[in-house]
Amino acid sequence: MAVRPKVAFFEFTSCEGCQLTVVDSLQTHPELLEAVEIVRFREAMSEKGDDYLIAFIEGSCTRPSDEPHLKAIRERAGVVVALGACAHLGGVNAIRNRQELSELRRYVYGDKAEWYETYPARPISAVIPVDATIPGCPIDREEFIRVVKAVLQGRAPQLPDYPVCVECKLKENVCLYLRGKTCLGPIALAGCDAICPTYGDSCEACRGLIPNPNIESLKNVLAEHGLSVEQTMAKMTMFLTYQTMESEAAAHGNGKR
Amino acid sequence: MSFKVIPKAALPDWIEQMRRSQRVVGPKPLHGQHVFGEIHGAAEIDLDYPTTVIPPKKYLFPQQEDLLTYKLDGSAPSVVQDAEPTVVLGLHTCDLHALHLLDRVFEKTHVDQPYMARRAKTTLVSIECLRPCMSHSFCKSMGTLSVTDGFDLHLTDLGDDYGVDVGTPKGAALLDGLKGVREATGDDRQRVNRIMTEKWPRFPLRLEFDVTELPSLLSVSYDSKLWDELGERCLACAMCTNVCPTCYCFNVADEVELTLTAGKRYRVWDSCQLDKFATVADGHNFRAKRGARQRHRFFRKGKYQTDAFGLLGCVGCGRCAQACLVDITPVDTWNELHRPATEGTKEAAA
Repeated sequence: MAVRPKVAFFEFTSCEGCQLTVVDSLQTHPELLEAVEIVRFREAMSEKGDDYLIAFIEGSCTRPSDEPHLKAIRERAGVVVALGACAHLGGVNAIRNRQELSELRRYVYGDKAEWYETYPARPISAVIPVDATIPGCPIDREEFIRVVKAVLQGRAPQLPDYPVCVECKLKENVCLYLRGKTCLGPIALAGCDAICPTYGDSCEACRGLIPNPNIESLKNVLAEHGLSVEQTMAKMTMFLTYQTMESEAAAHGNGKR
Repeated sequence: MSFKVIPKAALPDWIEQMRRSQRVVGPKPLHGQHVFGEIHGAAEIDLDYPTTVIPPKKYLFPQQEDLLTYKLDGSAPSVVQDAEPTVVLGLHTCDLHALHLLDRVFEKTHVDQPYMARRAKTTLVSIECLRPCMSHSFCKSMGTLSVTDGFDLHLTDLGDDYGVDVGTPKGAALLDGLKGVREATGDDRQRVNRIMTEKWPRFPLRLEFDVTELPSLLSVSYDSKLWDELGERCLACAMCTNVCPTCYCFNVADEVELTLTAGKRYRVWDSCQLDKFATVADGHNFRAKRGARQRHRFFRKGKYQTDAFGLLGCVGCGRCAQACLVDITPVDTWNELHRPATEGTKEAAA
């Protein structure tokens, strides 16, 4: 085979579960190693190469000192791929963005609070340009392989741009709303094969929002199914805090990256 | 063709006999709903079923199907031919009417080879509905409450027996050699007639006007304000089109092997209700508003299909109404357009 492109993995604020899924996908798709050369991947090897074409970045940017690291990766890499919900959306780390940070820091770190720098969590696309994204918490291993294929072909990966309801209905699942539960499926991006609703759990929208979601109408549906405004907002907080705060800011005419 | 009678007790033998040469699929319960799935024995099938989540069109036009495979070495691609001989046992008449339309769609203008290949290998055994299957169905209003042709066999539940209307030689062949089958007597025909007479009043007419008026009603409703109202509510989740027995839009995509030496082309169901459906080159979306997409859907069902193929695009199965989380239904929508108080229709007509 021709020269294999060099690949590196990096982690910022995250649980590294997406990289574990990558390790997992190497077991089902060992041919991946024929297509690329991994030079840096702390979940699986000790070497730390600094010469790479493709950088997979897991985790969100949560403190000022993350920024130079992200920029350095961007300068070295030809292709930057955001890996998982934290890198894509800010992840669960962004829940704090609606809270008072100094209090939060004291709550978590107690009298050592001043030792730790922190600021609102952001997806890496808010700091550096990103060429491709693999959504999800964690990522889907099949989708990881599909994105790698597209990147190797020099194409932009085609990710699902439709809601989870599409995948859920095609599997002929019982709609969670018919089972007396609530679900963010109608506004959440698909690609997960509706795995949570398939096993009876509500979708939390870990892959983010579909384009032009009808959030107001879904709020009415949630209210009809007995959710208070607070419960509805809490439901929208797990993975959607950064996206919803951005759209609120845009609606107020002061949208920012 | 002819009219026969099968005792219900012969159903296990019949299914076993059919399974010797082909796959048998039919309605079966799953998590409190019914779905069409493979039937391995008579105990699995439930012919007295409400309606299924996804219609049986999935056997002729699967949710996802491979079209061709190719190698990146310059050799010719090969067409995927994986149509399996299949008996669809127990279609409701609404779903059979829907297949009439799909037959025309996939055969007229452009012959769709994957559909036609599956169609040629499929035998359709429909069943007469004797009571409404759910509150959302409106088959009587749409004229799909019964069926006169298009089936290979058509069953009517006579209590201990099934009356069997034999529609084609392919259907007749399914009964070859089956013990217990007999020609219908005058008595049997009277039983069927009585059951048909009794069933009719059990079904409500839910449209407030005659369905033959529907295409012309829509013609004067293009600018109705109702579409914007539907757009406010619609979640654009596409459940309505994914459960529809007459929707047939699909997307085509390629998937290449990791080693970049081979790949396949497949098609997958798509939906006009999705935000990106009408997005074309340079990112322009010519049907960006949800209201416009709902209008398009109801026009497809009530007018465009009739204009193009001579059959209504809605068979009144009620699946879309059942699935919709915001209660957008064909019955309410069309009745609302028909009511004289609806401003939009008046404006458009003026």
